Amino acid sequence: MRPGASPLSLKVTLMLQTLPRRAVVALLALSVFFPIGLVLYQSILSGPFFMPSTTLSLESFAFIFDDPDFWQALKNTLAVAIGMSLIAIPLGAILAFIMVRTDLPGRRWLEVPIMIPIFVSPVVLGFGYVVSLGPVGFFSVWFESLFGSVPWNIYSLTAIIIIAGLTHVPHVYLYSSSALRNLGSDVEEAARLSGASPFRVARDVSIPMVSPALLYVGVLVFFLGFEIFGLPLILGDPEGHLVLTTYLYKLTNKLGTPSYHLMAAVATCIIAVTFPLVLLQRALLKSAQRFVSMKGKSARQRPLALGIWKWLALALILGWLFVTVVTPVAGIALRSVVSSWGQGINLLEVLTLDHFHAVFEEQTMIRSIINSILIGTLGGALAVGGYLAIGLATHRQPDGLSRFVDYIVLTPRAVPGLMAGLAVFWVFLFVPFLAPLRSTLFSVWFAYAVVWLAYGMRLIQSALMQVGPELEEAGRLVGASRARVSRDITVPLIRNGLLGAWLLIFMIFEREYSTGVYLLSPGTEVIGAQIVSLWASGAVDVVAALSLINMALVGIGLAIALRFGVKLHD
Amino acid sequence: MTDKTILTVDNLALSYGSNPILKGVSMQLRRGEVVSLLGPSGSGKTTLLRAVAGLEQPHHGSVAIAGRAIYDAAAGIDIPAEKRELGLVFQSYALWPHKTVFDNVAYPLKLRKIAQNEIVQRVHAALKNLGLDHLAERYPHQLSGGQQQRVSIARALVYNPPVILLDEPLSNLDAKMREEARAWLRNLIVEMQLSALVVTHDQSEAMAMSDRILLLNGGVIEQQGTPTEMYGQPQTFFVADFMGSNNIMTGRIGDIRGGEARIDLDNGISVWGLRRTNAAIGHEARAVARVEQLQLTDGPGDNRAEIELATSMFLGDRFEYVFHAGKDLLRAWGKRHEDAGKRWLEFPRDSVWIF
Repeated sequence: MRPGASPLSLKVTLMLQTLPRRAVVALLALSVFFPIGLVLYQSILSGPFFMPSTTLSLESFAFIFDDPDFWQALKNTLAVAIGMSLIAIPLGAILAFIMVRTDLPGRRWLEVPIMIPIFVSPVVLGFGYVVSLGPVGFFSVWFESLFGSVPWNIYSLTAIIIIAGLTHVPHVYLYSSSALRNLGSDVEEAARLSGASPFRVARDVSIPMVSPALLYVGVLVFFLGFEIFGLPLILGDPEGHLVLTTYLYKLTNKLGTPSYHLMAAVATCIIAVTFPLVLLQRALLKSAQRFVSMKGKSARQRPLALGIWKWLALALILGWLFVTVVTPVAGIALRSVVSSWGQGINLLEVLTLDHFHAVFEEQTMIRSIINSILIGTLGGALAVGGYLAIGLATHRQPDGLSRFVDYIVLTPRAVPGLMAGLAVFWVFLFVPFLAPLRSTLFSVWFAYAVVWLAYGMRLIQSALMQVGPELEEAGRLVGASRARVSRDITVPLIRNGLLGAWLLIFMIFEREYSTGVYLLSPGTEVIGAQIVSLWASGAVDVVAALSLINMALVGIGLAIALRFGVKLHD
Repeated sequence: MTDKTILTVDNLALSYGSNPILKGVSMQLRRGEVVSLLGPSGSGKTTLLRAVAGLEQPHHGSVAIAGRAIYDAAAGIDIPAEKRELGLVFQSYALWPHKTVFDNVAYPLKLRKIAQNEIVQRVHAALKNLGLDHLAERYPHQLSGGQQQRVSIARALVYNPPVILLDEPLSNLDAKMREEARAWLRNLIVEMQLSALVVTHDQSEAMAMSDRILLLNGGVIEQQGTPTEMYGQPQTFFVADFMGSNNIMTGRIGDIRGGEARIDLDNGISVWGLRRTNAAIGHEARAVARVEQLQLTDGPGDNRAEIELATSMFLGDRFEYVFHAGKDLLRAWGKRHEDAGKRWLEFPRDSVWIF
């Protein structure tokens, strides 16, 4: 177009140029709001929304509010959310302080193991605890033979809270360690010279100074407490401890008929709590970042000498790693190669590879493994591609549309995977032209991509932010359109970031279990959902083998990521 | 608008939120002319350059290249940056790190769908012109700062833009290289008959490189003119203060005689100078005298004062004398070392401006 052309043709050109951007945003909004809208709509109907006799009604809420199980589940959920915050936050903060600010020997080697609980599927972890610390678990049996009895009960609500707390320590560690990295060491040295021991320094100076980050992570952990599903599903079942997510899951069988309206009502109740929490997190994160940036970068960091305290610090970390990582993982590894286990059984007599044979003989199991690999590799790449498209649509364009996208991206964060999977299931069940895709892997991929939207967008956006604005402006000046600049300059420059995002999404997709639960059907099996379904049928042997395979897949992703120097967090 | 005008900016205004950055700036650039945008940081000079380039969004006024509007708030015209056909040399050079020198310079031609053999030919010609032809296959990080700058210029010139914009082109070079690069750049612009708009915060750089200087202050043009006009005939205190090294003294107007006035300074000295203020007798005023204009003399005379020489400093090519006059420290330059003591200092009448 020549400069000085008429304003009308200019506007037409402008509209054509922004068309892909609008299309991306429209598709995104539809993908997010339609399933969630369907859940909200379903919750105020008297029956499943596809039944002709269904009317608008609040009877679903009346039903669940009348159900004592619902109130018990709510009470348990609150106990879990509060209890695990009380455990995870102090432990995570101390762990971060030790790892970031002290001269603890072997810090570099501990960095990766600390992150493992984030990448292991909670349902796998829960299973690992059952086979290690359950009534006939390896560790329990061994302990009993030494001391005569076992003082713990893995199926109690207290145990669930403690395990949930311990497995969420890495989340706290992530955010508080990055805040601590931004803190100058002079303030700590001053406290040390005034006579404070290293742990007093942590308690009185360092940790209070990162309190905005801790407040943020406190809300995050409390919020995750509302979402947890795998642990209470496996550990809470024997004694009937329900939380809201497992209550929702059990509703399926409660009435016999599809009780969609009741499930939607429970889901709506959960969203009513989680959505405000997500908004609160967003506000807190902004203020925490402001707090950190005020500190500036000039402050040098020198590790605090722990002296004799280092053995206590090391014992604390190794103890936590033993309970949180070694115990369940070793339990699963062992359980997958023994035929049975209990009091007085000789390990060498029961060693077997039968469980793996069983897995590889059954068509559904093989399919679930292949599907899991496909969804992690191909699906992960597609998801990163989609996130990239959204990222580029809003990159350095601070306008209303970009702010709108910000909020769309945030929304699925408030919907636990189990419910997101359910919503997507409904969408694929009842939108006529989508129905044929329901029993394909596409439906699972779509649900995964929506559930992990916020996480993926954070990866993409932090990569995009690394590109100097003047590199893109230089492209515009020499005659490249926005789209051309994205293709020729921005995207090639963030290649490494995209590779890292793909690897992280791969691990997250392998780990995912709850989102696939309602989408499980012949052809769409993935390992995580398969474990949930097999657990209900009591097939412990196969669950053990599948769990090990699942951890191996995540482990391969982790090894490649570390090989390429991908940062596991930002 | 004459034929010779290549770039016209008319009453351009721009704000960040409620914070006005440009408050109605008008300027013209003629074909083959180098104009510098000079000013302290925050004066809006870089914003003006970026608004011309299409990287910032003004809300009022117009910009035209060779008579064609590229931005006009009233007519609703806003040509996107990539269609403005301007060349911009970034302060950080903004070379694309994933492309070789050749590919960096070739990219604008590739965008214009020029045949491959012509691209090769034109890129090599451009690189040769800037003494870079042996570096074509290198990546930007393998080049020195000066070489990167040349690549960045080659990239901005290769598609023959009617106007080239340079944003602080010398600020990323070290002090010694800067003076050489200044001469080289001026020579290049004159030889290639470019029309250039240069942003700089360094007054000597602006004077050395440009045909005309626009001094910006707080989003408006304070004064514009040739370097000699800007240096020799400042119209406001800000301009006098910004250009050159100065002795600045405060006092009150003592007498007015046509274009001249006498100022009775707070440090006790009274001098005559050129009147640049409408303040009446008895009102406060400031006197500005360039350091190089003050003369050490042997005895009393017109516009001279006897004051205390505190010390002489050797600067290599000259000596700098430091005088104590009341609370003021005055500076002057000379050829010889002088011992401390009472000396007569002359303030030549036509070199003292009274604002």
